[in-house]
Amino acid sequence: MDDLYWHLVDFLQAFAAGLLVGGTYGLMCVGLGIIFGVMRVVNFAHGDFMMLGMYAAFYLVTGFGVLAFLGPYAGPIAGAVLAGPIVFAIGWLLHKFLISRVTGARVVAAEAEGHYAQIILTLGIALVLANGGLILFGSTPLSVQTPLSRESWEIGPVFLNQARAVGFIMAVICALGLYLFLTRTNLGKALRAAADNPTAAAYVGIDVDRAHRLAFGLGVGITGVAGGLFAMSQSFQPYIGFDFVIVMYAGVVLGGMGSILGAFWGGLTIGLVQQMSTLILPYQLQNTAIFVVFLVIVFFRPQGMFGRVWERT
Amino acid sequence: MTTRRTIIKQGALGAATLATSTAMPWRMLRAQAKPVKIAVIAPLSGPWARQGTLIKWGAETAANEINAGGGIKAMGGAKIELVLIDAGDSAEKAKNAAQRLIAQEPDVVAGMGAWLSTFTLAITEVTERAQLPWITLSYADSITDRGFKYVFQSSMPAGKQSVETLPTVLNLAKAATGKLPQSVGVIGDNTASPTAFLKPMREGGLQKAGLKVLFDETYTPPLSDATPLIQKVRSGRPEFLLWVSTTISDLKLGLEKMNEFRLAKGVVPVISNGAHLGMPEVLKNLPADLIEGLMYSVANHQVKGQDRINDAYGKHSGEPWITQDGLAGYGHTWIFKEALEKAGVADRVKLNEEIHKLDLTSGPAADSFPGGVKFDAAGRRTNAIVCIVQWQNGKPLTVYPTDRAMAAPKWPKTS
Repeated sequence: MDDLYWHLVDFLQAFAAGLLVGGTYGLMCVGLGIIFGVMRVVNFAHGDFMMLGMYAAFYLVTGFGVLAFLGPYAGPIAGAVLAGPIVFAIGWLLHKFLISRVTGARVVAAEAEGHYAQIILTLGIALVLANGGLILFGSTPLSVQTPLSRESWEIGPVFLNQARAVGFIMAVICALGLYLFLTRTNLGKALRAAADNPTAAAYVGIDVDRAHRLAFGLGVGITGVAGGLFAMSQSFQPYIGFDFVIVMYAGVVLGGMGSILGAFWGGLTIGLVQQMSTLILPYQLQNTAIFVVFLVIVFFRPQGMFGRVWERT
Repeated sequence: MTTRRTIIKQGALGAATLATSTAMPWRMLRAQAKPVKIAVIAPLSGPWARQGTLIKWGAETAANEINAGGGIKAMGGAKIELVLIDAGDSAEKAKNAAQRLIAQEPDVVAGMGAWLSTFTLAITEVTERAQLPWITLSYADSITDRGFKYVFQSSMPAGKQSVETLPTVLNLAKAATGKLPQSVGVIGDNTASPTAFLKPMREGGLQKAGLKVLFDETYTPPLSDATPLIQKVRSGRPEFLLWVSTTISDLKLGLEKMNEFRLAKGVVPVISNGAHLGMPEVLKNLPADLIEGLMYSVANHQVKGQDRINDAYGKHSGEPWITQDGLAGYGHTWIFKEALEKAGVADRVKLNEEIHKLDLTSGPAADSFPGGVKFDAAGRRTNAIVCIVQWQNGKPLTVYPTDRAMAAPKWPKTS
């Protein structure tokens, strides 16, 4: 009886952890989903923009103490939110001066729609951001310290980590807000049009480069918020981006190319598989389990969970 | 009037002046003997850059001291010149760094590095072929198990650390609670050092000590969340947890999760292994009350009698206290200095012979390593001891060996 009880608690606890971690994964994937899934820009520096979000939150809350007046609970949450605009601005500038050379209307006729150049350029940016981060921020692991990350809300025998739970709620709000922006506003529709057919979009008066720039800034900004949320629970250093970039791509493809909500579900699925696989598999196979499930899903649904049929993986 | 005698006199004077003027720089040149190059291969970029930087600071502190004290006296006051090379973030990059060193720096006579056992194993494959004496702090037993002649290990190997740690910890528990613990939970990451540390325990060491192993889990670092692992502690309730990880990130996730599950602050005492657990940045990631009481074994940590080293290192690096990495960089440089004094020449083979002959019980090199400096034929430090360190009042203090301890150990009595 006791064994059965603990098996049930183990299951519920792993499910809760998967859901909460998956929420923040989902937000990261939504950010990449705009850039890779919708705008079709390959961005290997995406994990490093998340790292910038972590440092932005850290310096706002702890380093410079700008948000210290909000206290140890609200301060880190506000820091995560404000990391978004900061990373948005960095993304906007990088796109204006570098990434615009290999995206948008300029590469419509280029081989593989400019993806080769995008891979090389964004890999270069990733290296510069990680090593520049090492010079600027140093190699010391840091985190945004808050009681939220070590306290929980209890629902029966299940503990919900407060930082993860807040992160989950914020992730859902951000993902929904972005979905509504892209589907219900003229600007959002212009972004999608510029991504679907840059030439036709230009004919109807859409500034394709500007649309791409806005989408890129939004994508990395959203991921910056996810980074700020992760910074409450995890230690980070300038090389942390690499640990997440594969998960982000897997989430976007799993959810379905071109689908923002799909990217969120993709990230959520990865979180659930990662945590719940430990119930039956050795812990060392956590990440292997993610890619086994990934392969199974794309085998049966090559377009991903929410992708369009003509956009296969 | 200029006579022939005057001309001869002036000529003689000129020649004497010339001789003096040429002799001065010659004497100065003799005084400024060719510097002796010592390599430091350490991760200066990537996720382990912090540890590499601490080694570098330790080596620089020692080199500055040696050079200020007149250099290598047996070699005409030759200065120590450090050749710093980044090992990067993978064994492949570390091996490339070693190959670059051998190709580009033929004058290097010895070296140290590269923190992570996996890197050291790769690097020493290259340095051994080049007959370059190499000292490392890395723990893996396999580093000095390969029959290499030019590799020295200043730390007690992980397998032996494990054997030494367990009875010490159990005795501490008995002294505090009046009885030996009966059960343990084991969690370790799958990198080389934790694997080597836990191997003897997993292969019967824990059972021999009368401990029932309630769970034994191995994970791949870094963790994204520690819930499933700590859930094992929650449902199993071992009398103590043996948790060996190599990253501060995993430590933070684990201890915070234990706090969330009401298992922290001594409810289930945590015993660990590794120098990173005593680094000052632990306090930048965890509040002092959560880390209080954490006990870990490590090959080296600040002990009584190292105040001078600690002060010099602190002045150079700005660090609040010295840890194993800084002590290794400092001590290894001094070991090379002592061996060079005996060798008298910058020759790799001769230097290697002299390192093997060293038996240092005093001086900066011996002070850096409790137990002194003497290597066996395999390159292992014969008198190496394991230090047990415990976080007390926001500082990691050595609690064992007792004669060099900075504080008395405390075992939580709430377990």
